[in-house]
Amino acid sequence: MVQEEIIKTVNGFLVQEFEVEESKISSEANLRETLDLDSLDYVDLVVVIESNFGFKVKGEDFLEIHTFQDFYNYCQTKVQEKATA
Amino acid sequence: MEYALVTGGSRGIGKAICLRLADMGYNIIVNYMSNDDEALKTEALIKQKGVDAILMKFDVSKLEEVDAHVEKWMNDNPEKTISVLVNNAGIRKDNLMVFISPEDWHRVMDITVDGFYNVTRNIVKSMVRKRKGRIVNIVSLSGLKGMPGQTNYSASKGAIIAATKALAQEVGKRGITVNAVAPGFIKTDMTQDINEEDYKNMVPMNRFGEPEEVAGVVAFLVGKDSSYVTGQVISVNGGLYS
Repeated sequence: MVQEEIIKTVNGFLVQEFEVEESKISSEANLRETLDLDSLDYVDLVVVIESNFGFKVKGEDFLEIHTFQDFYNYCQTKVQEKATA
Repeated sequence: MEYALVTGGSRGIGKAICLRLADMGYNIIVNYMSNDDEALKTEALIKQKGVDAILMKFDVSKLEEVDAHVEKWMNDNPEKTISVLVNNAGIRKDNLMVFISPEDWHRVMDITVDGFYNVTRNIVKSMVRKRKGRIVNIVSLSGLKGMPGQTNYSASKGAIIAATKALAQEVGKRGITVNAVAPGFIKTDMTQDINEEDYKNMVPMNRFGEPEEVAGVVAFLVGKDSSYVTGQVISVNGGLYS
């Protein structure tokens, strides 16, 4: 899956599940602040990621994810890992 | 379709809980570890009430077994929801502290504490997502008061009481309640070595309780009437300890 597809999928479920305006999503924007995530929202995010991409997410994975670009990169890496496993 | 998962559900208090929740209209997933005959009897009794009954044989203390059954079932049945979880599985390995073997210490802790973690983690994730859920942990008078000869059992149940209070605060904002029920002397296989005649005088109500009397409180905690009750431990002990 190329990054354009990842971005389209991720932005799609974020708009749908977290009711964020697509215009507020940009590569360098802060994920937590833009989506107004509290700690339990991360559980929702984990479930949505797992159901869309089929890989397992660990809570500590989010420690390195700050921007939307970080999130796209993370999803792409995990999708590739799953494909080659 | 809504399901209730009851661990240790084939016998005793767990069986009574299964039947009571079936009366409330829940489909029931009965977890059990070893006794196939009793599990089949419980399954038949549940089905007589017109709801679905599913037997799941696994050891709650083994994460890979739990995931192989519970997580797989959830993945295979996305249209079905486990909206009620009753963590009831537990064992006693009583002895004076100095005589408790490492095996008996760990087995009691593994079933009760690890079992709670193994089963609850994935299910609460689903409940958070669906903004709905009821979790009831069956603890014990032993976990509240402490009982001599049960240091391992008291420790395990005390841990679950603390976990109940912590988890209730974590997930309350998603409309999920987490409570505990602490039975005293209840007539089950687990207490068959305790003579009621010898011990009933300790109990203000002067008798041992029935499993159905515990199940009734679980039903309250699962039902609408307890919608604002969370993080609580409700004793069902005939007044033995308060």
